[in-house]
Amino acid sequence: MSVSFVLRAGERGFSRLVSTGPNATYVAGHPDGVITRHSSFNFHEYQSGIAGFGSIRVFGDEVFSPNGTGYNMHPHHNFIIAAFVLGGALTHVNTIGKVDELRAGDFYVFSAGSGGKHAELNIGQENLNVIYLWVLPARLLAPPSYVRGHFDAKGNANRIACLIGDEADALPIGQAIKVSRLANERGRTHVYRTSPSRGVYAFVLEGEAEIAGTVLGRRDSLALTGEERIEIAARSATDLLLVETRL
Amino acid sequence: MKKYLCLGCGFSYDEARGLPEHGIAPGTRWADIPDDWVCPDCGTPKSGFEMVEIPYWSRT
Repeated sequence: MSVSFVLRAGERGFSRLVSTGPNATYVAGHPDGVITRHSSFNFHEYQSGIAGFGSIRVFGDEVFSPNGTGYNMHPHHNFIIAAFVLGGALTHVNTIGKVDELRAGDFYVFSAGSGGKHAELNIGQENLNVIYLWVLPARLLAPPSYVRGHFDAKGNANRIACLIGDEADALPIGQAIKVSRLANERGRTHVYRTSPSRGVYAFVLEGEAEIAGTVLGRRDSLALTGEERIEIAARSATDLLLVETRL
Repeated sequence: MKKYLCLGCGFSYDEARGLPEHGIAPGTRWADIPDDWVCPDCGTPKSGFEMVEIPYWSRT
């Protein structure tokens, strides 16, 4: 067992993107539109942090201001991009031919493969908070795909629910990653079972939890390797994401 | 022959294939591409690419 790193919320990279100036074609929205991005790993202009963990290259905690702010249509290849909506509404448009609206609890997996474009927009009246996860694929230039799912917080209270992976009811995207979510009441302890050959990145969305002996607050995270079982103790009502990756 | 992936968008460069449509001949080593070259899709600098050992998808 070993802790690869502990990353406190305030230690993450921070970017503030506006829809005017150099990013005017990339960032959608009216002149006051703003995207804030907290990056757990190096991304774009933030290059002084952690490069990645296993197959994970991007873990962005982003807030889009209302009334049209977001990313205009832009190209991708290869990366498997997942979005988890925490609050507000995300309008996703892609070149596979999908126009989708996702709200709190909804998530998608867009595998860009041999090439695809997408736009990510907040056309609602309130802030959108969304987590973006980018993972290296197991194969390059695969046919692009898009799937969506929903995390039912009430139906999954106090259990580790697999959102993306090989388990029943989860979105299957091959062996690249497994993503689980735990919405947990105070005082409950859970065990996440994994394999020593894999790594787990745990990110606290809300609340405070003790994970493998380390206390994490809201938006803190840590990465673990060499584990067979990871103990997660809720010190308050907590909500967290667990991303399991090959190393 | 190695492959490199743009960490800004996922664009892949394969030394064996080159990028003839962007003036880079097949067989061009990564080291021989100018340092001021940027990702043709997103503008990420050459230093923002990562060498990867990931096979291509195939139908079989």
